[in-house]
Amino acid sequence: MWAERVLMERRRATEPDLISRALASNRLGVPSVVFFGVAGAAPLTVIIGGISTVYAVIGQTAAPVVYIVVAAILSIFTVGFVAMSRHIVNSGAFYSYISHGFGRQLGVSAAFVALPAYAMMQIGLFGLFGVVASGVLDAFGVQASWVICALVAWALVAVLGILWVDLSGKVLGVLLAAEIAVVLVYDLIMVTHPAGGTVSFATLEPVQLLTPEVAAMMVLAIAGFVGFEATVVLSEEAKDPKRTVARATHFSVIVAGLLLGASAWAMSVSTGPERIVAVAQEEKTDLVFTLVAPHVPEILVSIGYLLFMTSIFAALLAFHAAVARYQFALGREGVLPSIWGYTHPRTGAPVVGSIAQSILALGVIILYAFLGADPLVYLFAWLTTVGGLGVLILMWSASAAVVAFFLRNPGRENVWRSMVAPIMAFFLLSIVLDATVIGLGDILQVPEGSPFRWIFPVAYLVCAVLGIFWALAMRRWRPHSYAMIGRGGAGRSVFDLADLNRPHSHALAGNSHMQSIR
Amino acid sequence: MLADQYYLIAHEDRTGRSRLHPRATGLGLAAALLAELVLEGRIGVNDGDLLVLDRRPPRDALNHDILDLLNAQPQHRDLRTWLAFLAQDAGLRVAERLMRVGAVELVTRRRMLGTTQTLYMPNSARQRNAAAWASTRVANMLVRGLDLNLTDRMLVGLVVATGLTRHVMYGFENYPHIYHGLPSMIASLPSDLRELVECTESSVGSALTVGRR
Repeated sequence: MWAERVLMERRRATEPDLISRALASNRLGVPSVVFFGVAGAAPLTVIIGGISTVYAVIGQTAAPVVYIVVAAILSIFTVGFVAMSRHIVNSGAFYSYISHGFGRQLGVSAAFVALPAYAMMQIGLFGLFGVVASGVLDAFGVQASWVICALVAWALVAVLGILWVDLSGKVLGVLLAAEIAVVLVYDLIMVTHPAGGTVSFATLEPVQLLTPEVAAMMVLAIAGFVGFEATVVLSEEAKDPKRTVARATHFSVIVAGLLLGASAWAMSVSTGPERIVAVAQEEKTDLVFTLVAPHVPEILVSIGYLLFMTSIFAALLAFHAAVARYQFALGREGVLPSIWGYTHPRTGAPVVGSIAQSILALGVIILYAFLGADPLVYLFAWLTTVGGLGVLILMWSASAAVVAFFLRNPGRENVWRSMVAPIMAFFLLSIVLDATVIGLGDILQVPEGSPFRWIFPVAYLVCAVLGIFWALAMRRWRPHSYAMIGRGGAGRSVFDLADLNRPHSHALAGNSHMQSIR
Repeated sequence: MLADQYYLIAHEDRTGRSRLHPRATGLGLAAALLAELVLEGRIGVNDGDLLVLDRRPPRDALNHDILDLLNAQPQHRDLRTWLAFLAQDAGLRVAERLMRVGAVELVTRRRMLGTTQTLYMPNSARQRNAAAWASTRVANMLVRGLDLNLTDRMLVGLVVATGLTRHVMYGFENYPHIYHGLPSMIASLPSDLRELVECTESSVGSALTVGRR
């Protein structure tokens, strides 16, 4: 018996056992997860669509250093975030962190902030896609307004979303590789053709961080990283749940940060630091293409435009899937009506969440078409900025939730991961959030006295308060669902919850008391 | 056997394709195989852990194989881990068992671009009838309100947990009372089996949330 145990210990120490090995063979390694994270952040979309907006809107040259600083802040945030993801189920969603850290009421209120935030980020991208696609078609001699292009993209995303086509596989892989290659080539060209013949490092000066506009830049920069946090969704699919996701998430942040920072710097080198703002304001999303066009064959610019378009489309699809998944998770836990927990039997697609997001997007696109508002400013820039603010609020509260969680469950991780890094992240994100809320009017470029200067943070606050009331209502009328919040449906008892009067609803996600709440 | 019945319900009798997301089918079959061992009194489930109660070999070769694995890997007790592990090839193993008893045949199909696909599916009229009967039989018993034995109640539990309810009840939508009866049927299972159903349900949910094949 003793010999057997020693043998067993030794075997365990030297090689992973049969079960672990068999499970690992079918699971994701670090590169696949990094890929998922970087693809979620959609680098080309951010570099061409986002950075030029940052230069143009803020009118400040600190963008390169800001991207790198934001990458550093998010890296610190990631430390605690992935450490906590190892100890909770349903780690894909911010609200489950917050419900584990601060209790279910704040968890639901976080969900109520997350839903509009991610939905807006996706819908905003339709504006960018419409404008870019309309420009590309124009080059081919086809006249199509941005609304038509956005609606075509909308239809494609709606259909692919319901079919749950796994585009994140090979197609996206090839596109992402091509995108990164194009970015690197463009960067190289911009740096080797500097304005005035000398490469200037002025925009990388850390001194610029002391200017007041920097904090406002940070929210735009953070919006460019959104998507990297989706890697934790894969924690149950990773080879080594302890390490794979943690490493991969750090890599994703660093890769995205370096790409964005380098590209922002290369742009400023090409125009010269003193002219970048003026040129960006003039060229908007054509900025990069205008800068490289004199130095490269025309075909390379055309490829860049096409890849830019596919990159936005891929981002649209990725965010659509993220929103649908979020709603599915909430439906499964009974926070949303149980119908949201229904999946298509064969494909496993979260059909209801997907359709809901599509309908919302269609409504917004049509509304903007009727209003005739500039899609680049009021649809793309506004919605992604406001959505980015929502995600920033979530990250900020998640970093506090990490501290609270490890205070309640001490000894699970070391001090750096459970305390020092999350507290640092919380303070840094607090500064950014504070500055964003104060400076939002300037970021959105609305005049003094306009209600848009304060309405968005207030709207999020209202959502959060509604979430608390919703949670209290759930506790009162559906205590079993309430107990499940943030638990990913694990451990609930089948007979408490299942009311299968609707054959279409997901097998177990039914809730008998739903009617009384509506 | 339980897993055989589940296999026939979870696959289309005409095309041999899985009616569910392949991972959901795999998890359902894995749970059915473990349930067979529970029903034979070889293993038990307690608080998320599998316990081997009786090491004597079961009669069925596949059950024997799985019990041997459980014995050989005592460091893994977590039910979720075993479900994930067995789900990887449960489809193939159950299909082979079905082939041995003559319920399905190996069919090779040519697909696009010269690739071939190997399917285990009912091929003759008799086999197809038997396959279609698997779900009709359950639906019939539920509609008539007959008493189900333990194996069939577990089968219903797995059907519900993996999301096949709608398929099994196809054509019986006018009998809503069956849907109301399902939760109490699952609740009436012994605690080992009930825990197995719950764990299957949550594993299927996580697999679908990620959406990877």
